[in-house]
Parts: sequence; structure tokens; C-alpha cells
Amino acid sequence: MSTQLRRTLLAAGILVVAGIVRMPVEQALTEDLRSQKLLGKPLDIDTRKKVGQGFWAVSLGGLRTLVATVLNLRAFSYFEGQKWEQVADTYDTIVQLAPNSAFYWDTGHWHMAYNAAAHYQTDSSLPEIRAQAEWRKWIKRGTAFLEEGVKQNPDNALLWKQLGWLYSDPNKLVDYDKSAEAYGRAVEIGGVLPYVNRARVYALARSKNGIDKALPLVRELQKEPGGNVPTLLCLRFALEMREAPGRDSRLLALDLFGTPAKAYRHLGNYYLSTGDNFPLNGVAAELRSLERDLAIPGEESIFNQQ
Amino acid sequence: MSSPTRPLNPRRITVLAVNTFTQLMRMKVVYFLGIFVVIAIAANFLDLPTHAAPESAGVGVLYAIKNTCIGLMSMFSLVLAVVATGLLLPKDAEDRTLYTILAKPVPRLDYLLGKLFGISALIFLSLVVMDLLMTGILTYRTNQVVETQQQMAAALGYSPEMTARLEMETRALGPTWNLQGAVLVVFMRAVVMASVALLLSTFSTSTLFTAIVGFLVLFVGFFQADAREYYFSGTGLLGRLGSAGMSIVLPDLQLYNVIDAVIEGKLLTAASLLKVAAVTLFYFVLYTFASWLIFARKEF
Repeated sequence: MSTQLRRTLLAAGILVVAGIVRMPVEQALTEDLRSQKLLGKPLDIDTRKKVGQGFWAVSLGGLRTLVATVLNLRAFSYFEGQKWEQVADTYDTIVQLAPNSAFYWDTGHWHMAYNAAAHYQTDSSLPEIRAQAEWRKWIKRGTAFLEEGVKQNPDNALLWKQLGWLYSDPNKLVDYDKSAEAYGRAVEIGGVLPYVNRARVYALARSKNGIDKALPLVRELQKEPGGNVPTLLCLRFALEMREAPGRDSRLLALDLFGTPAKAYRHLGNYYLSTGDNFPLNGVAAELRSLERDLAIPGEESIFNQQ
Repeated sequence: MSSPTRPLNPRRITVLAVNTFTQLMRMKVVYFLGIFVVIAIAANFLDLPTHAAPESAGVGVLYAIKNTCIGLMSMFSLVLAVVATGLLLPKDAEDRTLYTILAKPVPRLDYLLGKLFGISALIFLSLVVMDLLMTGILTYRTNQVVETQQQMAAALGYSPEMTARLEMETRALGPTWNLQGAVLVVFMRAVVMASVALLLSTFSTSTLFTAIVGFLVLFVGFFQADAREYYFSGTGLLGRLGSAGMSIVLPDLQLYNVIDAVIEGKLLTAASLLKVAAVTLFYFVLYTFASWLIFARKEF
């Protein structure tokens, strides 16, 4: 055997021995990095779909986020051309490449549940029933996309907040229980602006299962920054009247709003926002009473503006 | 006094490294930096309209800059590591430089190390230049975004605490030490691939062969961890043997995918960075030693 061949075989032998030695060390390090979410989960070879997802995510190592950026540009051009299927498919790929970027989950769901849904809702070329079906389909697709986003990023307050927003949007498929739950998670995680906590309470107040929990939270919120916004004051009024229907509503209104004119203006606007589905306990009766006291002419009455 | 032919002479290795560095500079490989500058500046304008709430307005462009710059750094460093390293030995043989050097009392280990350090230095300096540019652009844009958000916060009457928290969150998306850690990992992966390419070039017959096999190792190396996972948890003798073979021969390049997680905002701790650095050092020593074993008695 020539010296060169012997040395080559020796090199190969060393590589093999070193390979055997390093395997458990590399495995432990991989698991450590996975536990810190610095590496993705191992490939799941149960389904072809999962293999495809993992394959691209792994093989583009280090370039995944660059490819995601380029695809995001492509998705924008599809959005401009209103090619909604391509927009959705592209975002499905983008989030496989960058599953921890909340930005892409957020933008993707916005295109599906808001832009695509609104496009079909206002598409006069479609029969009404078909437009309605398409609108519903795209809202559901955007919601499912965002649900997957929060599943993969359970500690991201922004995504939970967006989910809360989507579920309480009166122009979408409203589910106030789910909305309150999502807003609640966002608040629990922290780092959100005060309006998110208010939105959570608004959702609770409008849900069948949460309304009983809303009043103490409203009282608490009023002590925080932004606690005197008209909607919160009006909601407090309705919830207080719901809790104790026999109480003096005028005293409560003056306590919350300061003057009868202010109470009439805010409660009037609140009453007219029927699409928002807020509780209206005692609101109509108090508005009638205020109209009498403030001598509001019949043609300017809130009840004639509905 | 040490023997002149004793290997691992730092001065000799430095001379060879500087020579390799100069050789590569003359090949104008750093022209890529020009392309990087253009693309990095263009990334500044990737601020696509979104529905972002006021508190996250403008952050999309920060992601775009980071994604683009780190992605280009990865691409450049890997291509340079595989192609330039694969090119060096055949080019030295073609130019007859190799014979001139090896005719002198230069240990072949020093020659190989000089080549590796030279190419590593070129990759490192190129990454430093790209990193400086990325950091500069990111700093500028982060300041812009923060300024806009503060104006918005003032208009909406946010409390000073909320404004400060908003600024802190936005700045975390800008230039951070965490991001510098990712750039360092980009460099480490390039060093591993340069060592692999050097090993391949000690027995390959052409640059093309080295480049093709080098890129195959790179591609398959991303799946080494999955093969190893299968070996430890899978069933079936043949499958486990095959995956063991793959895990033993190839480097685990999936470890370096932490880069993507860092860009997406995950924290790379110093301990994790050190562990990745230790693995890199192990690969470097292993592949360089194997290269030397093959190259030491090779006849030209």
C-alpha cells in the first residue's frame, strides 16, 4: 500500500472516529438551541406537506429571511394586481421561511381577512350570494392564518392583539369571547399600549360569557391613562345600570360625564353605534329623560337619527 | 532556537496568509461589496404599505434591511469560502507558485493553514465592511422610525413610560449586539465551509469538482442534524445505518441556522455563541488535520 493511500485512509479513519465522537455532542447542542427556539423543530416525515415545509426552511439556512423578504415583495405585487390566491399562497410560504417574524403573520392575515374579503364583498360583478361566500371564505382563511401565527408565536402580544381585533371587528365574523381571550393574552404578555386593555374590556362587555366580569375591569381602567374616553364612560354607565337597574341614572350620568349636555352627547353617540353591539342597559331611558330636560327639539332627537 | 522546518510557525503562517489574501484581492473577489452596497441601500426603500398599528409603524423596513444584509453576507461568505478555497491549490499548482513554496523549508501544514487563514481574513474583513454598512443604515433608519413614533406618541398623548417602552422595542429591532452575534455565526459557518473545501481540494482533480462537491456538502450539511436525529430516534437498521453514515461524515450546518432566529428577534446568548464557536473550532481543526494528512506526502 502506498504511503499516500495509507495517509488518505488514515484521514478517513480520523474523520469517522471524530464523527462518532461528535454525534452525541452535536445532538445535545442542537436540543439546547431548539429549547431556546434558536433552531427549528426536527423534520416531521409523517406527511409530504411537512417534509416540504421543513425542507425549504432547513436548506435555505441563513438565507431564509432574505428569501422571505423577496417573497414579501412578490406578494405585494400580487396584492396590487388583486391576485388573492397568489397573495395567500405566497404568505403561506413566507411564514414557513420566517415563522418567528410576527410582521409576516400580521401582514398576511391583513391581506386575506381584510383586503381580499373586502374586495369580494364589493365586487359588483359577482352574484350577491357568491360575493358573500367569498367574503366569508377569505375572512376564515385570514383568521386561520393568524390563529396559526399565535400558535407558533404564543408569546407575541402583537399577534394576539391583532387576533382580538379581528374577532371583534363588526365587519368580520365576530366572536367576542375569542376576541376577549386574545386581547387578554396580549395584556397578560405585556408591552401593549393601554387601548389594548380597553379593547379587551369592550370585547368582554359584548360577550355572553364575559359581560359579568366586565364592570370591575371598567372601574379599574378608569383609573389608568386614557380611562376617561367616552366609550369607556358610556360602557360604565350601561354596566352600572345593568348591575343595579333601579339606581338613579341621572346621578350616575352626572357623576361620569359632568354635565347633562355632555352626557347626552356621549350617550347619544354610544346609542347610535348599534353595530358595535355594546350593552345599552338604561341608556335609552336616560337619553329620553335628558332630551326632556335639555329641551331637545323632536327633529334633533337621537331617536329620530337612527 | 527552533528548527526552520518545524510546523506551526506563526510568522511563516502569517506571511502565507497575507500572500493568499493579496492573491484573492487581485482576483477582485471583493467587487461583490459594490453589489452589497447597492442592495443594502435599496433595502431602505422596501417599506411596503401595511395596516400596522401606530406603535409598529415603519418597523417593516428594519426587518427588510436586516434580512437583506445578513442574507447577502451569508451568500457571499459561503460562495467565497467554497469557490475561492477550492481555487487556491489548483491555481498555485498552475502558476507554479506551489512548487516554489514547497521547495523551500515550508511545512505543508503551515502552507495549508496560511491558505485557510488568508481566505478567512478576507471573509472576515468583507463581513466587517458589510456589517458596518448594515449597522450604519440600520442606525439611521431606526432613528427615523423612533422619531416618527415619538411624534405619533405625543399626538396621541402617550405617557412618558409608554413612549420610552415604544422606543426600547423599536431600538431592539435595530443594530444590536445580538445582531453582531449573528454576523459572527455567518463568519464561523464560512470558516467551516472553507476547511471542507480545502480538504476536498487536497484530493480533487479540478476546481469545478471541489466547488460542486463543496456546495453539495453545504446543502446536505443542512440536513445532517435530521439524519442524526433519525439515527438516535428512528427504527429500522438500514435507515439508521445510512443516517449514521451521513452524520459521521458531514458537518452539522444546521447549527448555524441560529442566524435566522436572531434576525427574527430571538436572543442569542453568549453561552450559545461560545458553544457554536467551539464546534466551529473543532471542525476547523478536524478538517485541516485531515487535509494535512492527505496533502503532506502528496506528489505534484
